[in-house]
Amino acid sequence: MTIHDLRTRHGDASDGNADQVGGRLSRVDGPAKITGAAKYAVEQQLEGLAHAVLVESTVPAGKVHAIDTAAAERAPGVLLVLTPDTIPPLKTASDWFGTPPPDVPYCPLARDIAFSGQHVAAVVAESFEQAVAAAALVKVSYDEAPAIADLSDAKAGDGIPIDMMTKEWGEAEAAFAAAPVRICAAYNTPREYQAPMEPHGLIAVWQGDRLTVWEPSQWLDGMARTYAEWFAIPFENVRLVSPYIGGGFGSKALALSHGAVAASAAKMLGRPVRLVMSRPQTFTGYGGRAATRQTVTLGADRDGKIQSIVHRGVNETSMDGMWVEPLGSVTSIMYATPNFSSKQNVVRVNSVVPGAMRAPGENPSAFGIESAIDELAYEVGIDPLEIRLRNYAEQDPHARKAWSTRQLREAFAAGAETFGWSKRSAQPRSMRDGNQLIGWGVAAGTYPVRRAYGEALVRILADGTVEVESSSIDMGQGTYTILAQTAAESLGVPADNVVVKLGDSRFARAGVTGGSRLAGIMTGAVHKAAGAALDQLVGLAISDPRSPFHALQANTLVVSAGRIASPRGDGPEVSIAELLASVGADQIEAKGDTMPANSTAEDRYKAYTTIATPLSHTDGDYSRHSWCAHFIEVRVDEDFGTVRVSRVVSALDSGRLYNPKLAESQWKGGIIMGIGQALLEEGIVDRRHGRIVNNNLADYLVPTNADIPDIEVISVGIPDLHSSVLGGKGVGELAIVGVAPAIANAVFHATGKRVRDLPITLEKLI
Amino acid sequence: MTSQTTIHLTINGHDHSLEIEPRVTLLDALRDRLDLTGTKKGCDQGQCGACTVHVDGERVLACLTLAAQVEGRAITTIEGLAQEDGTLHVVQAAFLQQDAFQCGYCTPGQIMSAVACIREGHAGSDEEIREYMAGNLCRCGAYPHIVAAVRQAALEVAS
Repeated sequence: MTIHDLRTRHGDASDGNADQVGGRLSRVDGPAKITGAAKYAVEQQLEGLAHAVLVESTVPAGKVHAIDTAAAERAPGVLLVLTPDTIPPLKTASDWFGTPPPDVPYCPLARDIAFSGQHVAAVVAESFEQAVAAAALVKVSYDEAPAIADLSDAKAGDGIPIDMMTKEWGEAEAAFAAAPVRICAAYNTPREYQAPMEPHGLIAVWQGDRLTVWEPSQWLDGMARTYAEWFAIPFENVRLVSPYIGGGFGSKALALSHGAVAASAAKMLGRPVRLVMSRPQTFTGYGGRAATRQTVTLGADRDGKIQSIVHRGVNETSMDGMWVEPLGSVTSIMYATPNFSSKQNVVRVNSVVPGAMRAPGENPSAFGIESAIDELAYEVGIDPLEIRLRNYAEQDPHARKAWSTRQLREAFAAGAETFGWSKRSAQPRSMRDGNQLIGWGVAAGTYPVRRAYGEALVRILADGTVEVESSSIDMGQGTYTILAQTAAESLGVPADNVVVKLGDSRFARAGVTGGSRLAGIMTGAVHKAAGAALDQLVGLAISDPRSPFHALQANTLVVSAGRIASPRGDGPEVSIAELLASVGADQIEAKGDTMPANSTAEDRYKAYTTIATPLSHTDGDYSRHSWCAHFIEVRVDEDFGTVRVSRVVSALDSGRLYNPKLAESQWKGGIIMGIGQALLEEGIVDRRHGRIVNNNLADYLVPTNADIPDIEVISVGIPDLHSSVLGGKGVGELAIVGVAPAIANAVFHATGKRVRDLPITLEKLI
Repeated sequence: MTSQTTIHLTINGHDHSLEIEPRVTLLDALRDRLDLTGTKKGCDQGQCGACTVHVDGERVLACLTLAAQVEGRAITTIEGLAQEDGTLHVVQAAFLQQDAFQCGYCTPGQIMSAVACIREGHAGSDEEIREYMAGNLCRCGAYPHIVAAVRQAALEVAS
């Protein structure tokens, strides 16, 4: 009912080997998206749909004193007003590690206020307009308490040490003190927001004790687990449906309190309920990237060779939750150093608990170390590219293991050549065009290869059509397309004949789509399932007495372009449909997964509904990461301090690309989000009320088309079979890492001013 | 604000009669009353461009337009852009070819804007396209490919 038939004509002669993994097949979900036919989760038209609207706290700390719902309840069309007192208590659900929860009730509407914007009530009405109007009539009074607005608040303190973030080797402090060249600086990043174009929301429907949720989701099985635990129903009774996702960037992986409110309301009313956050609510309904502070000290010799790195980091978290943004993740692996120390604290503030946003950890970490090494380059008078090569880490300095593949040197070379780096004049403020100062900056980025498990089902239908089913999702990365290519290549059929069905938790299971892990896992699972289906098909063709190949006594057969033949070319050649008809088979079906063979049902449940069982990127003999190098030109107006990015060349190592056309798009998207981070994006906190002032898309500035120049991306990856079955590494998160420092470094080259607080706005330059 | 009123809308060449409150926006009328969900709601406050439709051929934000305001005027949504036989509009085809979208949520608005941008004569250079397409946000960051698609479509329209 919700999954569109994605079988459409696509590709043209220029696509070449588009049916194969690695071909430039256009998006198979593209036709649905460009015609408006693609139905996103909350766009289902259901009989009797009621509409819920949230009411949020207007104070950052304290208690709800009273909620006056009388006027709202009398308002036209109102069906239900929910408050902490009237919403039925739920069970507390386990966290994403699957940690057994405390046996206490969970109330998704808050009595105790931990941040401004927390959900305190909800109104459900016959129409959206009636619900919005009635929600404005709910009057909440508070017993307000003092709040800590953000990291700069004097009451914030030093925070809580997170010991598991500590990484140390050698004698970092002593080596730094003894080093002839010393750099020490503090780097800050503000709150940033994922701001996907599709707001968070859901439709919840109950049939008896079975719950169906249409909700944009990066993790159907994980969210289904949470809903099941909240309502104390079996996991199998929850169906999550998420056919298309209008962007996530980390923000749509977990079931959140607004989902519990909508599902509760649907249960109370016995009607389907839709709840969609308003755009301002999306800034507090879930967490963006935590604000961070880092101090990076580099001790080096006069040749720029690093002797010691001492790194200290802090990120904010909430009063009622814990988020650790691993700030030492890039610091500890990018450069070779004999002495190293990294430690991190988290500080509680009155904010919604921060969450994952594109390359959590690696992104701010790279801003610190990649700015600091640029500062070192100027200090010792060495080209910023040369100093990176001089400190090149030939193995993982932290894990002390060989890289599986590290094409970073190749990335530097290809990027520099295309950009024309050799023509750079070393001195800051030495390049200009009229009143515009021109700066060229470089920085590197990296992201670990996160690995886990996935399942897929491949079905060959009587007419030769191939279906692929998985509860994984496509939020724009191209899952529909690369899985069609994988099945097509593995089975020897045209990609046109493959229908990929995703986004339904009834399908074969998959873990979270996050950490750039999905493509590597799912191409492996589909490859395996398709291989098993092919074995069945060929087995039938050889052994079934009714098969036209039976008399051939062949050991094997080949399938190409959807037709079956003997490898020697003798004997018949028939289509898959003809073969299935001849042996009287309706369909062939095979499931494939990447779990160890002896896995139990419990192992599988845990693998797909929690993040407790990933494979470490340093498991075994190798350390596995994607790598990139960004070369960026900025133009800074000398009088006004306005910064424009005028040119970007990035060379990236994501291993083998399953579909270069789509991977290039994701890389460019990451770079563009990085331009926003460098120059525009900042959640501004009103320190009096602990409120995000710019909680909308006109005031929280994301890049527009007019902010973005042409971007050139170059793939320097090679297949990495230590990282995935088909040789790919991560794509989606890699490219944002290193963009902000490359721009900050370019701004320094243009202006001679080092900006260590993002975003780089004009008042910091004049 | 409970009184319903009857309004008549002409959408993609078809006439529709709706019993709605006067405060219903064109966007919610399309999405919730007419099952025309191709027009997207990204911000509901005129900031993102995802709800861009054409009214008498000009691009308009459906979230800032009351349905009652556009009675008797010709409304075109993304669903009405391709021909009846399914042949894609040149802008749609160019978006697919250039991979000018990822998640697809801003895409209908981008395409409606792009069609108008070309018709307005504002697709003469990449700089002009960037400026006149700047009202349509894309968080996936498809901008360079959107520029390429609009450039390609503008050339095809001109020829």
